[in-house]
Amino acid sequence: MTKEKEKTFEEKLKELETIVNELESGDIDLDSSIEKYTNAMKLVKECDEKLKNVEEKVSKIVTDNGTLEDFNVE
Amino acid sequence: MNSKYLTVTAITRYLKAKFDSDENLREVFLKGEISNIKYHTTGHIYFSIKDENSKINAIMFSSSAKKLLFRPVDGSKVLVTGRIAIYEATGGYQIYVDEMIEDGVGNLYIAFEKLKQDLAREGLFDQKYKKQIPKIPERVGVVTAKTGAAIKDIISTIKRRYPICEVILFPSLVQGESAKEDIVRNIRLAQNYDLDVLIVGRGGGSIEDLWPFNEEIVARAIFDCKIPVISAVGHEIDFTIADYVADLRAPTPTGAAEMAVPNISDLINYINNLKIRLNESMNKKINYQKLYLDSIKNSYALKNPLIMYENKKQKLDILIDNLSKVLVKKYDKAKHNFEIIKNSYVLTNPDIIYKDKQIKLNNLIEKLELVNPLAVLRRGYSLTILDDKVINSIDKIKVGSKLTVKLHNGEFDATVNKVKENKND
Repeated sequence: MTKEKEKTFEEKLKELETIVNELESGDIDLDSSIEKYTNAMKLVKECDEKLKNVEEKVSKIVTDNGTLEDFNVE
Repeated sequence: MNSKYLTVTAITRYLKAKFDSDENLREVFLKGEISNIKYHTTGHIYFSIKDENSKINAIMFSSSAKKLLFRPVDGSKVLVTGRIAIYEATGGYQIYVDEMIEDGVGNLYIAFEKLKQDLAREGLFDQKYKKQIPKIPERVGVVTAKTGAAIKDIISTIKRRYPICEVILFPSLVQGESAKEDIVRNIRLAQNYDLDVLIVGRGGGSIEDLWPFNEEIVARAIFDCKIPVISAVGHEIDFTIADYVADLRAPTPTGAAEMAVPNISDLINYINNLKIRLNESMNKKINYQKLYLDSIKNSYALKNPLIMYENKKQKLDILIDNLSKVLVKKYDKAKHNFEIIKNSYVLTNPDIIYKDKQIKLNNLIEKLELVNPLAVLRRGYSLTILDDKVINSIDKIKVGSKLTVKLHNGEFDATVNKVKENKND
């Protein structure tokens, strides 16, 4: 078993949307609601952190030998 | 004799009919230079097309003029397609232009159209092959020139909208003879860098400048690319083969960057909104459950638990009552029956049975007495017996028969002397 790849931001957001819709539909019992809510709040936090706390990425340029170097447009 | 003279209208119509019936004039391909061009407010364009020796009047109606990919001016060298006809009012012939392109790019234009048709037929532009562009990419690749407006616009737009996205530039030649190979090489190379989306393009330029993006090998490299591709070649009006084959066409490099990444503040708002919805729906759920629990807690039975017990007890009492009533009733009935039996006449006067029997017996004895032959004998009658049988008729007796005669208190033997039969019997 290979270790599961960490979900992308988009996948997390998609999951979050699904849970919100499920909870809003009201078809689930309280216990699973709480579980889903906890899970969703975790996703909210992760998404929030991703958007707010990550520093601006520096653009890169691929050099002739295939490696990446910082790239600044003047 | 005026009859041989035609009216102007008649000759004009005659000539017009000649022109109209000539197949060669229905679709004419003409090259020349524009002069005397006038843009009318209706959108029609009036001009002449001339070369060193000749000139022809031309009109392009607004419906065709709208499709022009450039703005013709006096001196523009052009290739036009149209029909030639006579305009009755002036009697002049003119070309009604359907299509017009700049000359010099004519060969390129034909090549473009042919490749576009071939690739379309092959299915390279089919919607079914278009990949979904991810909404929130983490890494965006750009195949374009290292310098120039395109990369500048792309990077600044991405930084402004979604600064947490990584941009990787694959510097490429974007014009000139070897540009096509370089673009292809970079598109292939880009697939090794774990990109979510790839922008391929360049800034505006002449049709020759943009030409590498109309090359078949570039089209095929885009088609074969495993990463979703956004094309961004030139300006809004420039359409290249790359645009048709890409998963998404952007009008400009800036447009491509806008399509590639979301706006971070929109995204933050959206997530906040999801969070609010999440909390609201959860609160609603909990409140509902609370209300439900309250309604149970306040129910009559839970509030007054003794009631339930008392009800049951009362019911039990009634059952016990009923049971004893039934038992008493049964007992009374049995007792009553017993009394009846006990007080019956026979049981209270048992000797009645005996007395009754005594009387009956006496009667029987009396009756028996009546038939007792000895009783008859006692009254003086006797029995005559011959050979141990009682004789009841005279015929059985003869003179000399030895008889025994029985009286009630003894007997005697006798011999018959005389027999006399009663005549009347």
